[in-house]
Amino acid sequence: MSAPELNDVQGLVARGYGNLPSAQFLLVGIDDGAAGRAWLGAVAGSLTTAERSPEGQAVNLALTSSGLAKLGLDAATVGLFSTEFADGMASAHQSRALGDIDENAPEHWAWGGPGTPEVDAVLLLYASDDPALARLEREQAGELGAGLRVLARLETSNLDGHEPFGFRDGISQPFVEGLSKKGPPETTLRFGEFVLGYPNEYGRYTDQPLLDAHPELARNGSYLVFRQLRQDVHGFWRFVDEASRNPDGSSDPVRRLRLAAKMVGRWPGGAPLVIAPDGDDPALAEANDFAYFQDDRHGTRCPIGSHIRRANPRDSLDPKPGTAQSWAINRRHRILRRGREYGEEELLRPDKALLVDAAISGERGLHFICLNGNISRQFEFVNDTWLNSPKFAGLYDDADPLVAPSSPHGGTFTVQSSSVRERVSEVPRFVSVRGGAYFFMPGLAATRSLARLGG
Amino acid sequence: MPHQVALTLVAQVRPGQVESLQELLKTMGDGVANGSVVDLGALDGVHFARFIVLEEATDLRGEPLPASLLYLSDLDVSREHHLGQLVDQSGEGLDRLFEHCEGYPEERKRTRETRLDYLRRHRVKEQAFYVNTVGRTRHQIREEAELRDRLEDFLDGADHLRRQDPAEIRRSVLEHVEADRTLSRALSPPAGLDLGFRLRELGHLLVVALLVLVLLPLLLLAAPFFLVLLRRHERRDKAPHVKAPVEVVQELAALEDHVVQNPFTALGFVKPGLFRRLTLTGVLYAINYVTRHVFNRGNLAGVKTIHFARWVFLDDKRRVIFASNYDGSLESYMDDFIDKIAWGLNIVFSNGHGYPNARFLIADGCRDELAFKDYLRLHQVPTRVWYSAYDQLSCANIANNARIRAGLRGEPGRETTEQWVQAL
Repeated sequence: MSAPELNDVQGLVARGYGNLPSAQFLLVGIDDGAAGRAWLGAVAGSLTTAERSPEGQAVNLALTSSGLAKLGLDAATVGLFSTEFADGMASAHQSRALGDIDENAPEHWAWGGPGTPEVDAVLLLYASDDPALARLEREQAGELGAGLRVLARLETSNLDGHEPFGFRDGISQPFVEGLSKKGPPETTLRFGEFVLGYPNEYGRYTDQPLLDAHPELARNGSYLVFRQLRQDVHGFWRFVDEASRNPDGSSDPVRRLRLAAKMVGRWPGGAPLVIAPDGDDPALAEANDFAYFQDDRHGTRCPIGSHIRRANPRDSLDPKPGTAQSWAINRRHRILRRGREYGEEELLRPDKALLVDAAISGERGLHFICLNGNISRQFEFVNDTWLNSPKFAGLYDDADPLVAPSSPHGGTFTVQSSSVRERVSEVPRFVSVRGGAYFFMPGLAATRSLARLGG
Repeated sequence: MPHQVALTLVAQVRPGQVESLQELLKTMGDGVANGSVVDLGALDGVHFARFIVLEEATDLRGEPLPASLLYLSDLDVSREHHLGQLVDQSGEGLDRLFEHCEGYPEERKRTRETRLDYLRRHRVKEQAFYVNTVGRTRHQIREEAELRDRLEDFLDGADHLRRQDPAEIRRSVLEHVEADRTLSRALSPPAGLDLGFRLRELGHLLVVALLVLVLLPLLLLAAPFFLVLLRRHERRDKAPHVKAPVEVVQELAALEDHVVQNPFTALGFVKPGLFRRLTLTGVLYAINYVTRHVFNRGNLAGVKTIHFARWVFLDDKRRVIFASNYDGSLESYMDDFIDKIAWGLNIVFSNGHGYPNARFLIADGCRDELAFKDYLRLHQVPTRVWYSAYDQLSCANIANNARIRAGLRGEPGRETTEQWVQAL
């Protein structure tokens, strides 16, 4: 494989900027193509590349298909990008695939839906602390002159590696060939799984027709999925509390925590149930070296339907679970997660979450961001076939207990055991979609090409 | 118990009638049939069924092909029984559909017999047919789903069984089933395939195997020539990667993912020339042989998510249609094929015009993932009117339900009992 051109690939591909805890995302509308191109030309100079970890601050940029069109790219060329990207996240079929129905439907979104101004670009800003972020934001917003609008400033919060339900997050990420972090072959993916212009897991080039026709736009680009997900922290803990009560009706904090962990697949501290079935263990906070078929075939430790087991089934996929072939299939459905939490900065403990509600404690959630080379085979597949499908791995009516939009009657969650399984019914929806869009994060040279369009 | 059969009807649409026929189909469903015009769910033993329209086309030699109306169903009952019921129960609906077609009896001549005769004459034989599990009827599938639901409800209320030994759990479940007259029929096994059918199948298995054995020296002698010819054809038929336009994908996708299964229908031209036609005929014959005798127990060479599938030649073998019923999304279906039986896909479809280049009939081809996915989208036929008799059950669910029922019988050992309790 030719070495990845890390000095042309935007930095978010290589790292989530963990050293830059302050972040803000600006959603930008382009009213005037020429102004948009001028802005792109200016911002291209400050884009952070994947070459080395940035110090102090980082800037990345991505565009929607409407953004590409407004910059002056003709419809035929936009149509060569992936169908999901060209079509947009809010289209009817994508909504079904992603479970964006009922209250989650794009009509109700705060941004990215049909009733709100078209989002054309997102500017992703990262800094080492809040004052530095404010400076960076002023500087970058200053470049957005007439003909451009900031549609929303999406703030983020820092929960010290946890997501708002209270669980350590972002532990399991695929390794990527050509980047500095090295991992075992089972979880190391080709660079082309995430970036156009390099061989993917099939040994092919994703979006070949686009690469053939417009290598200057496609090469070193990646698709960026952005979803603002509100998390009902109170609803989650209230449901878990109700479902784990003692026969006399009193709360049982131990069983409550156990059920919550069973739903997630890890304890709040991060220890995976496959390795630590009986309780949290700080020594295992980052543990990620386990497999499901090999270590817990029947789900008696980590339930088949738990969130992490279905978001990344590892070695448990048909037709030959437990083999290299199973891992190979799993590798074709991975994403690089780059999200940040938003809302109140304080992590709600279960006992506190049970006492108050969001009206008092404020909205919390996740700005879910991920990168992939093929939205349909990676991000959407994980959502549709693994998370949202009630039929995952032979289950009957068990969609993801944590993040899936529940079925009209509320799905079930099955906790396997060596005796009679425990079945939790009428699991409601804890996560709702507030906005979202599919973006393309071009390489630096491609960004400059876009800035020169029509010229 | 009956074995499953496929029925395929193909009728040529009269010139100028396609649009009004398409309008009629639009009133009948939006990816899932709504029961109007023809109520497929009211007929005996239908697993899946669909009505589709193939638009007018021009074949590879430039000759026009008229539009046609197709009806496809997967049945527990005989074709005769099914056609009779269609006419008896939905005669009027059939009239509304087929009066768009050439040769359908005019209004004053429509009787049970003339309609039946028309349908019989428009039957086309399938080249190959796959049944997930031969002999498992719609009735059995529904009955076992009901059994499983009832047992789960029982277990939800059976707090005393928590942490019990699997043998104790099984005893308790058995007692519950025995005590309930509506459940106790599950204690007897489902009716097996009848002896006559099994003997006929065995006969077919052996006769064909013997024939192949006898002809083996000839086949081996012919193989090098075949391979040389094949490679010559393959090097010549280069197919560029054509991207499916967004609008095409949108129209097809709008009809998908309404229930836990989906129908898939694709239509393609066989590559021109005798060589490809003979190759494909031979390949489909072989596929039908192995689906009949080998892959007839819930697993098509590693893919376990297909309920029924068929391949049918049309227009004097100039075109071939593939139709299946599968679990989950099209994306997962396509990925399943690429990851699990790429060779099986290539061996058939690489004889089709426009398919990504294959080597030696089995290599490459759909391994060019996106070229293959675009090819499928460009050859897919919108399936608006589609009926499923159990649209909330996956193949895995159906198989597990059968396992639960089977486990109620006999005196299993400890390990088997443990596994059975896991299936609940």
